[in-house]
Amino acid sequence: MNVLLVILLILTAISALGVVFSAQTIYSALSLVLTVGLLAVVFLVLNAQFLFVVQLIVYAGAVMVLFVFIIALLDPAAEDRPRLLDLRLILGVLAVAALCTAVFIAARNNVTYDTSCTNQAVTCMHGYTVGSLAATGDSTADPFHTFGFPQNAVNQAGNVQTVANQLFHTYVLPFEITSLLLLVAAVGAVYLTRRVAVGPRRDPQAEQRWKDELVEGAE
Amino acid sequence: MLSQAMFPWLLLTAAFLFTLGALGVLIRRNPLVVFMCIELMLNAVNLALVGYSSYLNSEEGQVFAFMVIVVAAAEVVVGLGLLTRVFSIGRELDVDDLDEMKQ
Repeated sequence: MNVLLVILLILTAISALGVVFSAQTIYSALSLVLTVGLLAVVFLVLNAQFLFVVQLIVYAGAVMVLFVFIIALLDPAAEDRPRLLDLRLILGVLAVAALCTAVFIAARNNVTYDTSCTNQAVTCMHGYTVGSLAATGDSTADPFHTFGFPQNAVNQAGNVQTVANQLFHTYVLPFEITSLLLLVAAVGAVYLTRRVAVGPRRDPQAEQRWKDELVEGAE
Repeated sequence: MLSQAMFPWLLLTAAFLFTLGALGVLIRRNPLVVFMCIELMLNAVNLALVGYSSYLNSEEGQVFAFMVIVVAAAEVVVGLGLLTRVFSIGRELDVDDLDEMKQ
């Protein structure tokens, strides 16, 4: 499983490079489709089956189709290479380097995050305990030994059931608010893309040609 | 589920994807690619959330990743609607040109 995960992570990183550094917009979009699909497989390997399906349906199915549709509609030209020694490019690279350092330091520090106390404290409101560290007893000597891979206490009832239990019990209010967010987004998109009344949308030459044909047909 | 040896690599990949997305937002000029890079950053956060969820043996990370996916879908809808509007009034799609808000 580790080998599979390493291969998937490397492929994801390579295809993400393609998103940023492709000159053609459609190649960026296709690289992003690949990245999203590979991340879905990573979710599957990490035992998040529900998110695997959601990622494929929502991202690869809906969002990326929308992107490709908009690219076909707008037909953007290929972008020039970013100018080297541009002030904005230098500032951008510096900002990203600072961000990168901060994120890597944070990631390094969180690797030693102590799981033995938090997992005992996190108990679901509806009866079952999240995490099985408390039951193993030997958690101080090796706090990670329950994470060996056939056993996964979270998914014993099934991943969809577990996630749904959280969504509809503990996080039911945020879940309902997301439906409001989607409604607002849909109304906003309809408002933004409505036909604008001002300005000539008709082609005067085509109209004249149509009138001429009418006259010729009458004669 | 996730072994201790693999977890740092997963986090580092998430950090790499996030910084790559941030770099793309800053250096690319096509707003469509900028939106794609934002999607990349959101996906990196999702990867970190699911990785933590698997590592800490808790499903709450998956719930938050689900929320992030919903927000990303809403963001794409509004953003692409804005882009079609900008295009329909005859402007070129270049984030360096669309700077009226600065003035």
